[in-house]
This record gives sequence, structure tokens and C-alpha cells, in this order.
Amino acid sequence: MPRYMLTFISHDEWWEKQTEESLKQAYAPIMSWWDELVRTGVVKSGEQLAPQRTATTVRRVNGTMKVTDGPFIESKESVGGYAIIDVTDLDKAIAVAKSWPGGDVEVRPVVEH
Amino acid sequence: MSKYAFLFLDDGVDYQRDPTPEQQKVYADIFRWFEANGSKIVDGGAELQPTHTATTIRQSTGKLTVIDGPFIESKESVGGVSILELPDRAAAIELAKTWPGHGVEIREIVPPRPRD
Repeated sequence: MPRYMLTFISHDEWWEKQTEESLKQAYAPIMSWWDELVRTGVVKSGEQLAPQRTATTVRRVNGTMKVTDGPFIESKESVGGYAIIDVTDLDKAIAVAKSWPGGDVEVRPVVEH
Repeated sequence: MSKYAFLFLDDGVDYQRDPTPEQQKVYADIFRWFEANGSKIVDGGAELQPTHTATTIRQSTGKLTVIDGPFIESKESVGGVSILELPDRAAAIELAKTWPGHGVEIREIVPPRPRD
């Protein structure tokens, strides 16, 4: 079956403002979603990433690798995490993305070799 | 040891379609990079199709919408991701400097939350 990557879009500003109690409430449906989709074999792997303010970017500038603090693009929205899923087609991948309780999601097919 | 996500950055090169000889060489070097660093890779992750194949699902606005295209339009984009286990961020940066492609955004992994 083809694989797709769900990129979970984070508004770090919102997450970092939450109290421990509201974080618990926000995470509860996310953890249930994760457990269920791992159990049914839809989610193959995935991770949550530390906030984008902690990022370091290394990129080629005029042939040399330059190191900068921060993400590759400054934006309110950033990559907050991802899941690699195994489903029959894009429609199914979109349906899975719609069920994500954590906010907005980008879906992209994975290159298979 | 800590786990780091390497978000591999593309600068618009589509390696799957008509790559130039130079781009083919970079792509081959990327394969060799993965072979050479296999022992540090705890999750190979995925290489993604170009951003024009992306679909974005928005619901944070309160209304569910499905839009063709990536969540953010820019010259650079995330072209893939792998998880590596490395001693510290300095080691991650040194390794990222050896990446044959355009660039890498390094992010630490958040460990799973404790279960109640």
C-alpha cells in the first residue's frame, strides 16, 4: 500500500500559552487517536517535534553549509510533528488527516524506491 | 544520547522528474549519506513527493476545508524526514553539515507524554 506523510501544523504560540491542565485536555484526544491508529496498523511511525524556536538550520549558501538558529522559515505555523501512514489511496489519507484532533494537517505522498 | 528529527530541505529541485546530471549526482550522494550514517538513524522516516502533490486539511478555523497545495508556500520546503540518535546538538549540526542536499532543519524529538 502507498505511504503518505501527515505533517501536523503547529501554532507554537498557542501550545506554549497553555496551562498543564489545558495541555492534558488537548493531548487526550491526540493520544487516543495515536493509540488507535497504531493498533490498527494505519500509523507506521511518527514523532512530535520540539517547538520551532529550538530549531537549528543548516543550509548550503554559495557552496558552503551555513548554520543559523531558528527554523528554515519563520512563520506562525510550523511543522509540529508527523505521522507516516499506510493506506490504499489519497482519499483515505485525507480521511485520516480529517480525523486528526490536533489541528491542521498537510498530506503528501511518500517516494517509494 | 538524544533523538533529533532531520527535516531535509528542498529548494525546488524535483529529483523524480528530469533531474540534471548535477542533481543526479546529489541524489546519489544522498543515498551514500544514508548508507554511511545508517547506524545513527533510528527511523528512516520518508522522502516526500514535491509540494505540488500536497493537500492541506484545515479545521482550526472551525470549518473543515481541503485545499490543494502545501500549508506554506515558499522556495524552500521539507522534502523528507529522518530520526537520528546523536550525542548532542553539536553532533547533529556537524552531521547536518555533511548532508549532500540543500539543507537540514534540526529539531529535537519530544518524548511521549506519560500515561495517566
